[in-house]
Amino acid sequence: MIDAAHLWLIPALPLLAAGIGALTPRSGRRLASGAAIAAMAGAFLLSCLALQRALADPAAHLYANFTWFELGDGAVRLGWLLDPLNAFMCVMVTFVSLLIFIFSLGYMKEDANFKQFFCFLSLFAAAMLGVIVANSLLLLFISWELVGVASYLLIGFWFHKPAAAAAAKKAFLTTRIGDLGFLLGLVWLYDATGSLLLFDGGHGVLESGVLGDLATQVLASGLAVPTAISLLIFCGAAGKSGQFPLHVWLPDAMEGPTPVSALIHAATMVAAGVFLVARVFPLFAADQVLAAGPLHALTVVAAIGAITALLGAVIAVAQDDLKRVLAFSTVSQLGYMMLALGVGSWVGAIFHLLTHAFFKALLFLGAGSVIHAAHHEQDIRRLGGLSRSMRTTFVTFAVGMMALAGVPFVFSGFWSKEAILHAASEWDVSHLPFYATLIGVVLTAFYMTRLLCEVFRGAPRSPAAAHAHESPRVMTIPLAVLAIGAVALGFLGTPVWPWLQSRLTGTPIPARPLLEGGGLMGLSIVLVALGLGAGWALYGRRVRLTATAPDPLAAAAPRTWAFLGDRMKFDSLYAATLVRLNAFVAALADFLDRRVWGSAVGFLARFAEFTGVVNSEFDDGALNGGFNAASEDIRRTGRAYSRAQTGETHGYLRTLAIAFVALALLVLLGGVR
Amino acid sequence: MTPDYAGLFSALRPEISLVLGALLVLGLDLTLYRRHSPGGRLQLALWVGSLALLTAGFQVWRAEPGTVFGGVLIIDQLAMASRLGVLGLTLLTFGITQGSPARRQPAEYVAIMLLAASGLLLMAAAQQLLLAFLALELASLSLYVLAGFDRTRPESAEAGLKYFLFGGMAAAFLLFGFSLVYGATGSVELTEIARQIAAQGSNPLLVVGLVMVLVAFGFKVAAAPFHLWAPDVYQGAPAPSAALIASASKLAGFTLFTRLLWPAFGAAAGSATWLNSGAGWFRAVAALAAVSLVLGNVAALAQTSLRRLLAYSAIAHAGALLLGVLAVGSAGPGPLFYYALTYGLATVGAFGVIAVMETAGRCERITDLAGLHRRSPLLAGCLAIFILSLAGIPPLAGFFGKLTVFSAALHAGGIRSPAGGLAVLAIALSAVALYYYLMVLKQALVAGPADGAPPIKVPRAATLALVTAAALIVWFGMNPSALLGLF
Repeated sequence: MIDAAHLWLIPALPLLAAGIGALTPRSGRRLASGAAIAAMAGAFLLSCLALQRALADPAAHLYANFTWFELGDGAVRLGWLLDPLNAFMCVMVTFVSLLIFIFSLGYMKEDANFKQFFCFLSLFAAAMLGVIVANSLLLLFISWELVGVASYLLIGFWFHKPAAAAAAKKAFLTTRIGDLGFLLGLVWLYDATGSLLLFDGGHGVLESGVLGDLATQVLASGLAVPTAISLLIFCGAAGKSGQFPLHVWLPDAMEGPTPVSALIHAATMVAAGVFLVARVFPLFAADQVLAAGPLHALTVVAAIGAITALLGAVIAVAQDDLKRVLAFSTVSQLGYMMLALGVGSWVGAIFHLLTHAFFKALLFLGAGSVIHAAHHEQDIRRLGGLSRSMRTTFVTFAVGMMALAGVPFVFSGFWSKEAILHAASEWDVSHLPFYATLIGVVLTAFYMTRLLCEVFRGAPRSPAAAHAHESPRVMTIPLAVLAIGAVALGFLGTPVWPWLQSRLTGTPIPARPLLEGGGLMGLSIVLVALGLGAGWALYGRRVRLTATAPDPLAAAAPRTWAFLGDRMKFDSLYAATLVRLNAFVAALADFLDRRVWGSAVGFLARFAEFTGVVNSEFDDGALNGGFNAASEDIRRTGRAYSRAQTGETHGYLRTLAIAFVALALLVLLGGVR
Repeated sequence: MTPDYAGLFSALRPEISLVLGALLVLGLDLTLYRRHSPGGRLQLALWVGSLALLTAGFQVWRAEPGTVFGGVLIIDQLAMASRLGVLGLTLLTFGITQGSPARRQPAEYVAIMLLAASGLLLMAAAQQLLLAFLALELASLSLYVLAGFDRTRPESAEAGLKYFLFGGMAAAFLLFGFSLVYGATGSVELTEIARQIAAQGSNPLLVVGLVMVLVAFGFKVAAAPFHLWAPDVYQGAPAPSAALIASASKLAGFTLFTRLLWPAFGAAAGSATWLNSGAGWFRAVAALAAVSLVLGNVAALAQTSLRRLLAYSAIAHAGALLLGVLAVGSAGPGPLFYYALTYGLATVGAFGVIAVMETAGRCERITDLAGLHRRSPLLAGCLAIFILSLAGIPPLAGFFGKLTVFSAALHAGGIRSPAGGLAVLAIALSAVALYYYLMVLKQALVAGPADGAPPIKVPRAATLALVTAAALIVWFGMNPSALLGLF
């Protein structure tokens, strides 16, 4: 039986694989990939055992804390946590990672840095699992930053492409902005509570006693302390999860290899922000007891989530790059999850996170299969007609598409989205987020239909697409497995049998009849049908004939289309304002560094060098040099050894005597005063 | 009081095993192994010696805490920890002895190292002036011989002679100082001395005695201005001898003098503030620390010889360790011990790398390290850990050593006290130190090898010792409570 104290093994296995990968020579492709896959399989088995243990007592939070080091009176303590939320995340991450690792065997086959790739992937998996199993926000933050590093390495994996190098930098810097807030939040939290452990026998920051104390503290501005801390932590979550206004890095991150996009920028890492908020949900909800507060943290979360959900969906409509459509759909879906958190349904958010991980990984891997077959052509206008040549990819991609669009009853996306809509409709603060999600439902169905039709229907519109053929088994089998998951996972959380929900919360949740609240479900089914129908009408019935033919929507509203295609000009806006401001500050700092500090430091360095030389001259020249010169003489002439030796040693001993007198004076004079 | 010889015997079992081990090494070498090659004789001597060290370690581990023979020896946490540290560092030194250039009379070399270790063990537990002096002399005499052991190199003879002359003078100061202390307090027992000082206050006689003790202390730990022997000895002595002098001997020295200064002369420390500081050794130790920090770090900048650079870095570290001595009064010996032990590990490791490189060719100047990462990735990797730890880069142990000692010093009297000011000075000089440490690493890790420099083969025992030292540095750095929690 696995226990919380053994949980470190789950991240340790992929970390070990990463170490092996780092040490193997470039030719050790089998060793590096084999170690990565074996470690992931081991971690998956351990995660399953951990899930079994957690489900045995779903209401409990099992934890094992230990002292990392002690400083003065305080000790820095870390720990591992095991509860159903962690365990489900562990199983999902290890399972999806395993499939994507296997898929990469085929996808990266021809890459010269094959073993490097598996090393980085394992490092990422280790860091991500570290985020999940941490019982200390400090440990979580450390792993969180490692996740960022791994993401940087993997986005820029093809660093010889300038776009990839720039995208890696952009992703790292943008998420760092959020992480700065996160770090400040942690420091403040530590200052306010004296602990960063989540659970610690009543002293952890998620336990009611500490939260109760925290909720009573209010700043001069009327803002409650837990609200402020939560909002700072939310900055980190928003950065990692690509929430407005920090979403700009995520579409660019598609420059990385497609398995990376599937694993990191669709299924796992970008969900870390959602996981973080769900993990510390009691902290975010701590200010709810203060009815009079000017602002609740969760209100902000819901608002940001709604904006992101709508924004991502709108922009996704006008993208022409296969992976960018999926990237903006990821942004939009993450917005849904944040929205669910904001309206208080963290269970709904996690449910959607789990189903989304499967169908979005499926969609990305399907896209990877297409890109692999079509010789890295990923412009949907130049693809087309692949349903005939790539049967398995087409069928599994269609499953993923329908899951994402929320086609009713069979596909998992429907149920998890339903849970979010339900929660949003019941939120009593405002109904605006609910309306935003409804619009998002239509748009999601619409752009996914467009994508499917453009890529798979009609005739091939480029030589690359015409010559495409089905990918090897090592790539299609993971697709099939993920497709099964994309369907089956939904049934774990239907209203009729809310197993997942009751396990996550640890309290039994009564089943609801399917048709209770049927109005909402009916509405969403109508909206999905509307989106699918519109997509079919515009792109399915009249398929695109040439790669250069304008999009039907672009013909109708060219300026809006261009605006959306340019991602609503967010990047240009940031370039014109923030980047320029930053460049100015950097230039200023450079000036200060070079002119002011530089000369001061230079002077000091010269001075230190000078004293060093003087000192060494004194030691080497006056004392030693004389000795050495004398010794040289002795060796040549064989005479006068003793005289030179005693002479010099006198010098040494004289120093000793002088120093003694000086010390004695120092001490005695102190006594006189 | 009837002398408790049985108790004394049982408390001295570690030292007895070491001495027996030394005799066994010599005996076997003179009888059964007389006709073997020097390599085989060294091998045997090291095996027997290691066994003696492990036996002694086991007996130290099992020893019961308390005072022995009417308070001559004290077995407490500090004694236990530094005895184990001394034995461990000596064991590592044995490992690098295997890797250093072969020499005549290998068995004598090992036997004298064992004798030195037994002296160091006694130093770590001594609680009486006479025994302290005897232990110190036993250790020192062995170390003089070790420093001058390589009779084929004039530098080694020079090192031995200089070390001996300087050490003899320091011993004279120590003995004179002890006799003055005895004259002032009428006792050689540390507990009794403490009581007398508390009762009668300080007087000039006592203070002069104290300062004389400090002179010997400064010599033992290579604190400026009593450091003059260190660069020559580090440069001339065989690498394992230098490693032992720089690590185990320093650890035991700090243990002994900390015991002398705090429990015995604690009442004569003087005040820890700038003004109104009464007569006491506190300001003298602070002055030694300040001079060592500045001189060590600054002079190291101008070195081109790797060993001399390590010597000046040792002087600088002695300054930081003296800061730890100042903080013992408020923070206990934990930070000091952590710093001394982890510093010893890194130094033994660095000298081990030098020893292996000397066997393969030359390791005189820093530039001789060029291309080490090509010639032996293992040596380069280990050296990087040792040097970065000496420089105090997290997460290695050197960083935590600095952190605990400096924070203890800052806590002792605040930033405006001498200890706090010294801590700030030491932190600033750490930045200077980074420069010369990185110069070493630049040669080892970045520069290309000289033409025709062959790959280096590392003997197995040396590999084991270097990897163990590096692993311990990483482990203690990641998990400092393993050592700090002992106190």
